[in-house]
Amino acid sequence: MSRIGVFICYCGSNIAGTVDVEKVAEVARTLPNVVHAETNKYTCSDPGQAGVKAAIEKYNIDRVVMGTCSPRMHELTWRKLLADTPVNPYMLEVANLREQCSWVHKDKEVGTAKAIDLIKMAVAKVDKLSPLKSTQIPVTKRALVVGGGIAGMQAALDIADAGYQVTVVERETSLGGKMVMLDKTFPTMDCSACICTPKMSEVGSHPNITVKSYAEVESVEGYVGNFDVTIREKAKYIDYNLCTGCGACTTKCPTKVINNFEQGMSARPAIYKMFAQAVPAKPVIDAEHCRKIQENKCGACAKICPTGAIHYDDEDKVTTERYGAIVLTTGYQLIDWKPLYPEYGGGKYPDVITGLQFERLVNASGPTEGHILRPSDGKEPKNVVIIKCVGSRDPHKGVAYCSRACCMYGAKHAHQFLDKVPDGRCFVFYMDVRTPGKGYDEFYMNTLQDGAQYLRGRVSKIYKEGDRLVCLGEDTLTSAQIRIEADMVVLETAMVPAEGVDKLGSMLGVTRDKDLWLTEAHAKLRPVETNTAGVFLAGVAQGPKDIPDTVCQAGAAASKVIGLLNHDHLESNPQISRVNEALCQGDGACVNICPYHAITLVQKQFRENSQKITRTVASVNPGLCQGCGACTVTCRAGAMDLLGYTNESLMREVDALCQW
Amino acid sequence: MSDIQEAMRSRAKELLESGEVNAVIGWEAGRFENQTTPLITSQAAKTQRLVFNEYCVNNLGKYPRDLTAKGKVAIFARGCESRAIIRLLSDEVIKRENVYIIGIGCPGMRDRTTGELLKKCAECRHGDPVIYDEMLGEPQAKPATQERFAEIQKIEALPRAEREAYFTNAFSKCIRCYACRNVCPCCTCRQCFVDQRREGWLGKQNNIAENRFYGLTRVMHVGDRCIECGECERVCPMDLPLMSLNRKVIYDINNLFGEYETALSLDEPPSALTTYKVDDVEEFM
Ligand SMILES: Cc1cc2nc3c(=O)[nH]c(=O)nc-3n(C[C@H](O)[C@H](O)[C@H](O)COP(=O)(O)OP(=O)(O)OC[C@H]3O[C@@H](n4cnc5c(N)ncnc54)[C@H](O)[C@@H]3O)c2cc1C
Ligand code: SF4
Ligand code: SF4
Repeated sequence: MSRIGVFICYCGSNIAGTVDVEKVAEVARTLPNVVHAETNKYTCSDPGQAGVKAAIEKYNIDRVVMGTCSPRMHELTWRKLLADTPVNPYMLEVANLREQCSWVHKDKEVGTAKAIDLIKMAVAKVDKLSPLKSTQIPVTKRALVVGGGIAGMQAALDIADAGYQVTVVERETSLGGKMVMLDKTFPTMDCSACICTPKMSEVGSHPNITVKSYAEVESVEGYVGNFDVTIREKAKYIDYNLCTGCGACTTKCPTKVINNFEQGMSARPAIYKMFAQAVPAKPVIDAEHCRKIQENKCGACAKICPTGAIHYDDEDKVTTERYGAIVLTTGYQLIDWKPLYPEYGGGKYPDVITGLQFERLVNASGPTEGHILRPSDGKEPKNVVIIKCVGSRDPHKGVAYCSRACCMYGAKHAHQFLDKVPDGRCFVFYMDVRTPGKGYDEFYMNTLQDGAQYLRGRVSKIYKEGDRLVCLGEDTLTSAQIRIEADMVVLETAMVPAEGVDKLGSMLGVTRDKDLWLTEAHAKLRPVETNTAGVFLAGVAQGPKDIPDTVCQAGAAASKVIGLLNHDHLESNPQISRVNEALCQGDGACVNICPYHAITLVQKQFRENSQKITRTVASVNPGLCQGCGACTVTCRAGAMDLLGYTNESLMREVDALCQW
Repeated sequence: MSDIQEAMRSRAKELLESGEVNAVIGWEAGRFENQTTPLITSQAAKTQRLVFNEYCVNNLGKYPRDLTAKGKVAIFARGCESRAIIRLLSDEVIKRENVYIIGIGCPGMRDRTTGELLKKCAECRHGDPVIYDEMLGEPQAKPATQERFAEIQKIEALPRAEREAYFTNAFSKCIRCYACRNVCPCCTCRQCFVDQRREGWLGKQNNIAENRFYGLTRVMHVGDRCIECGECERVCPMDLPLMSLNRKVIYDINNLFGEYETALSLDEPPSALTTYKVDDVEEFM
């Protein structure tokens, strides 16, 4: 026989306003196995909690129903309270008498009747619960950061400064991400390289940080505190222990390959550093284009290398290491606008460029050494058209969302152009100008002062006439048809998630939204956590944003990681799924449905009908299971049961509701 | 058909005599005229009792479940048997190496008393086996004479009250004999939910509410795995329109997740209702 205590809260007048609390307590006293029911003005207050503890002792209560606000609000409070008493903290059921009862009713009679039903259900359920115990999971005090853009670098530095080891995995050959490609950054117009490259070298030389460049995560196993991560570092063909980074090799290589860092506007050799300040500050060989590796010809670089660091037979290095926490900072790429916008030439006009190409054109270390010269003939453009929202906010062609940074960097580009070409004219086509942010609107106003002409509307067509690009569009504010003869057009294109992030997300059980951005656990309250414990997010990987927001988020994610790594052990959540092996037939329906990949099928020996047999049954990894319950409803045989929400207890709850 | 019958007898005999299989599953003549009954035998001599005619109405596909523990079994399989076997295989009930599938093309079976094509056979879209180790005779390529979802669309078009009456009426007749469950190749749980007393999913009373709950729960459990063999409806002694329930679920799956028909091959992707995708349609939420 269980001994149930029921505690019903007035919550000031929050509950008592529309629920006759005393009457509910009275009915509670008549319910089976309820040995005590009482009310309190504010149960969560110190005296309120002391009252609950006293009653538990006095009536020898072994499980409790709290008729209070929502479990989201106070379930943890009650668990902590119970931890101080002989009652197991999981022998608890919260009946939500506030958010789901008093707050949604006006009529006290109706509210009271519903509160009574809720209490009846909770009593029926708690009657069938069993005590649960958390186990201790050890925490590996190291973090992994995937993506070495500004988000990843900031997170890594913050975690490393707190004293923990961090590994940064970066897919490209250098840290830096998009930020290091930018020329100047709004709103303060400080030189991007001047603030980004010091971060890169700090990461590169931090005693607590290991950088694995030209590398990707291949697989992840394990769970919070103990992720076993396999990382593949692509062959660099250069022994970084010997290489001094002198760069002699890169001058001798005869091969020319399109330079992606310069957005395709110049060429680089097959042995190359991504850019001058790259970290690690050593080159790699692009095997696909190296004549020695492909055709066994050339070999010039090995001949010139003074330290003999070049090895054409280098191989990928695959390592598996354990980390306690993972931060995903994989950032973005720009949408491939060419197939989407044939009306803008679909890529056939070299002088229709993207925002990132413009960044490289104004950058002193870019292909034109900072002179704005158009790609087709190297002439200085006098008339420039900037088109915002190319691909963004355009669900029919591109994506539905706003890419958030383009209004600001669009204004930045206009400003930079007018600054460098004082006799030039700049037209900006926009749908809206969104400049919330400190100093942002002032920045935009200054751009208008500079003489940028903002036209509200989309460009409908771009075509070539002579050596100019004719842009047709409408100024929707004056309904005027606009025709501008431009020398160059800059498309501020949408940000989309980095390639491969879908695979990475599914490896870790981190969900992606419809646009494939990694999703946070709660849009407002858990913005840097994911649904997988121990995996965090920062930067554009979570959704478009600018550098200040990215850095904030990186710091937030780092603080969550530090908080986690601070523990020697974690308490596991005991409310997880359990397999009833007698019922389990091993068809694996649960394996497919589990969003956290917590279930595997295993072969197990059983004695059945006095015979030894081997059967396939499901097995739940307690570290991975998040207790979502998806498997329990998928299993037709009812072999999956969620502890704390067992099938039996839920059925009794339903029964209680259905009795008249 | 008599050629097939001869071939069946001799193949069954060979397989048993050579020890390749431990048992054979087929049909034999029943006690009444135009009636057959399943034959399961391990004796080569008994294979002469095998028959194949237009009255082999039983889907044999579920029998391997209880037999493969003792060794390999051979089964004569038409479309419905072959799909039932795929069902058992993908539900991990049996192993592929434990069944030897002898395919037979099916022209459709007839009612013993009226001589008419059975309803389930008129609706059948796959008369010929979709998986086999060897084939006896030629495929028949029998077309389905009934549109797959015609019945569903007709019921859905009814006003709400009539629809409710339709199902209330149906379930008022159910005697909960569980014949539909016992015959179904999808119903292979080690313990059916109706027998789980501790949870008490279902009350023991025979009333419309409990009967309907049984029917609806079963249809959701069978859900995306139903092979549309129509056996449940055939064996129901109270003539409940069970296939209209099954097809309603299948119809909805088709509408929500795209063209869907299960148990047509062994390498099907996991079925729609038991996979989790972030962008799953949630029109019902
Ligand atoms: C044209 C343009 C101009 C801009 N100007 C400004 C500005 O002036 N001011 C401002 O505040 N913001 C500006 N922004 C926005 C700014 O670029 C972003 O806010 C910032 O770069 C986001 O940083 P991040 O680290 O989240 O992503 P990223 O910079 O994209 O970094 C992600 C990193 O992760 C790596 N990666 C991706 N996938 C993997 C993987 N699977 N494994 C390993 N590594 C991976 C990538 O190689 C990359 O290095 C501009 C953006 C554009 C397009
Ligand atoms: S409750 Fe089931 S589906 Fe959910 S995480 Fe745990 S094992 Fe996976
Ligand atoms: S539910 Fe009926 S039609 Fe579907 S597989 Fe089972 S017996 Fe056959």
